[in-house]
Amino acid sequence: MQLNAHPTGELTEPNARQRFEPRDRESFFAAQARNRRATWRISVLCVLAAALMGIPLALIITPLLYGVALIIADTVNLFSPLPPEFWRQASEVSRFGRVALDWLLQQKAADPQALGIGAAMMLLPGILFSLALWAGVNLIFRRSGTGGAVLALRAREPNPSELKELQLVDVVQEMAIAAGLPAPQVMLIDSAGANAGIIGASPEDARLIVSRRLIEDLSRDELEGAVAHLIGSIGNGDLRISMRMTAVLEACGLLMTVINAPFGPQSRRILWRMVRYSLLRREGDPQEAAVVADLLTRSADLEVDDIDRFFDATRKKSRLRSIRNFIFFPIFFTNTAVKLLLWFFSWAALGPLMGLLWHTRQYLADASAVQLTRDPDGLARALQKLNEEPGEIPGGDWASHLFLVRPSRSGSTFATNTQQRQMLAQAWAASATAASASMPGASSDFAAISRQLPEIMRAALKGDERAAARLRSLYQSVSAAEPEFAAQFPNPDDLIAARKGDLEAMSRLRAARPNPAALGQTGMQKDQAPSSPETPSLVGFHASLKQRLKRLALLGAHIDPVARDRKAGLVILALSLLLGPFALLAILLLLLLIAVMTLASLTFVVIWLAVIHKLFALAGSPSA
Amino acid sequence: MLISPVAIGIIVAALVLIWLIAAFNGLVALRNRVQNAWSQIDVQLKRRHDLIPNLVETVRGYMQHERSVFDAVTEARAQAIVAGSNMPVRTAAESALSGALGKLFAVAENYPQLRAVENFQILQEELTSTENRIAYARQCYNDEVMKYNTAQSTFPHNLFATLLGFSPASMFAGMDADRAEVYVKL
Repeated sequence: MQLNAHPTGELTEPNARQRFEPRDRESFFAAQARNRRATWRISVLCVLAAALMGIPLALIITPLLYGVALIIADTVNLFSPLPPEFWRQASEVSRFGRVALDWLLQQKAADPQALGIGAAMMLLPGILFSLALWAGVNLIFRRSGTGGAVLALRAREPNPSELKELQLVDVVQEMAIAAGLPAPQVMLIDSAGANAGIIGASPEDARLIVSRRLIEDLSRDELEGAVAHLIGSIGNGDLRISMRMTAVLEACGLLMTVINAPFGPQSRRILWRMVRYSLLRREGDPQEAAVVADLLTRSADLEVDDIDRFFDATRKKSRLRSIRNFIFFPIFFTNTAVKLLLWFFSWAALGPLMGLLWHTRQYLADASAVQLTRDPDGLARALQKLNEEPGEIPGGDWASHLFLVRPSRSGSTFATNTQQRQMLAQAWAASATAASASMPGASSDFAAISRQLPEIMRAALKGDERAAARLRSLYQSVSAAEPEFAAQFPNPDDLIAARKGDLEAMSRLRAARPNPAALGQTGMQKDQAPSSPETPSLVGFHASLKQRLKRLALLGAHIDPVARDRKAGLVILALSLLLGPFALLAILLLLLLIAVMTLASLTFVVIWLAVIHKLFALAGSPSA
Repeated sequence: MLISPVAIGIIVAALVLIWLIAAFNGLVALRNRVQNAWSQIDVQLKRRHDLIPNLVETVRGYMQHERSVFDAVTEARAQAIVAGSNMPVRTAAESALSGALGKLFAVAENYPQLRAVENFQILQEELTSTENRIAYARQCYNDEVMKYNTAQSTFPHNLFATLLGFSPASMFAGMDADRAEVYVKL
């Protein structure tokens, strides 16, 4: 039996199924360089995708900007007439614009220089406006960074007289020394899930959020690997990258909010909140930043917003409302066009690219972890352990991409009401046939229960009769005490029967599956719950466990290679071949729809502006 | 628009100068990181010196018959402090201290009532962590030295590096004493 000496002085047994065979290894420096190059490549693609999205967006925004300028000019003109030079320049601009449009729509031949100027006139204001929005969002949120919503939870300092928490602080210090970085502040959360993440704006004010469950589940080696991954991530500048990525989404939301602002109080409130936050002279309150950022991001979703409410057909029709709707009709097209465009591009182009980008950053952080600990096994085992348990940190959805593993929600989330916890602890103690459970009340007991319960469940599912009996008595006592609380748990008998293949039990379980959204939030109202920046896209933000383990194995980790699931691969291939053409057709139709909406918006806005200009001229002429 | 050769020459020279300044600053930054990493090792070694008296006091009451072990630890610590900046002597003293501490903890395994004392567990964790920190500080130093040496000796920096005073730094090598003292618990 071979024993390895380890810097801690502890001796660890290697994995019993360790293979001593030559394999193609990669040095972690090479892995890091490779991932950094990949990041650059994908960033270029992201910029291209954003530029591609920018062109139709500019086409929609530019008329609005010109319109605003025109209205301002007309208003000024009413009070003090502007020189005729101004109006001549304005008509020159519109002439160039018309040339460009005619070339596009009616294939009318045009002088290339005039065409160029026309295209610039039509696109440039919109592009500059969008870039200004993005730069503004970056500036505003720069001080506070990402992930501030997690601070809204009851996070606490680690207790140095408790051995495990002292170990955590020591491990963080060790990894920070190995990385040559200042040690981030560590905060603990007592949650049912095992996960850890980073929040902040830069390596100097980064914070590490760790759930209590994690330090109990992992051994010192595995904890070192996990912390090394997070600190490596900080050192690689992932916080800044994450901020830039979310800034893109927030800029889209800001655009929507600005367009909606004249029409609805909700958008105005969001804008006011953002302005108030940016004027704060303090160091940037991360919580407030997270709330504002979340509001902005959600504005870009396909939810009901102010303009939809404005045109709400179900409200009672008065003549005034109909006239108002008719006058502001064009803005409806603009709004829909922008929403469709943003949604489509973030789902199909920008979202997946940002997901891929984040994957490479995760692989890079994994390689950095190996560099810091010089021990790939620790991180590999930690990842495997963490993926078995649910890793949710309530309220952590907003920063889910900054966490070690995807914070997943499982049906066995417990509510954290203290009364219910006490009741649960008592029931657990009562159900124990051996005198293993201790007195109820303290929160650390709850952590122990949430660790023991899945083990007992697994044992019961495998056929252990004592475990099954214990589970059954627990379920009975909990349902006797608080029936609605017990409704969150599946009936153990059903679970065991379903495992054996009983179809009826399976359908009963499926029907009784509790609503995950109602369970996962602690203390936060449901409508205040932050949504994830992982806007629904084809590629998720977390790299798959299989890929990460494969790369760690290349770096020298001793793990069993996961058997390649050939059948699943073939099925996916067949499905994509069958559905591919339909998907392509759907995408083309969507693009066509967007183009039509854009042109409709353009047409209506131009007519609109012409009418307004005429009205101003009429209003001005009696005084002229 | 014809740009005269003189203008082109001036522009190229300006660009080369800017590049030289940037490269010089880069090398200076890397060298400073190397020096910072070196002093980090010292910080961790000193931390270990500070933790030892507390440890010895805690265990002395329980392990009255193991005087030789305590004396070895206290002696090694005194020698390490006295050695100061005399590098070979200091390094030898520090590795002797590591060995003495290892022996102390190995012997403490025979005293179960000592292991249960919470204070001792925390001290043990602190000292384990300090040994780790020393190791990681040396590792970080070596990594920084590698980065600095690579930057300073690759083309095109190697053209002017020695001229401007950037000589390669040396890595921290393991002492033979360290390699000999491996405690195995069977």
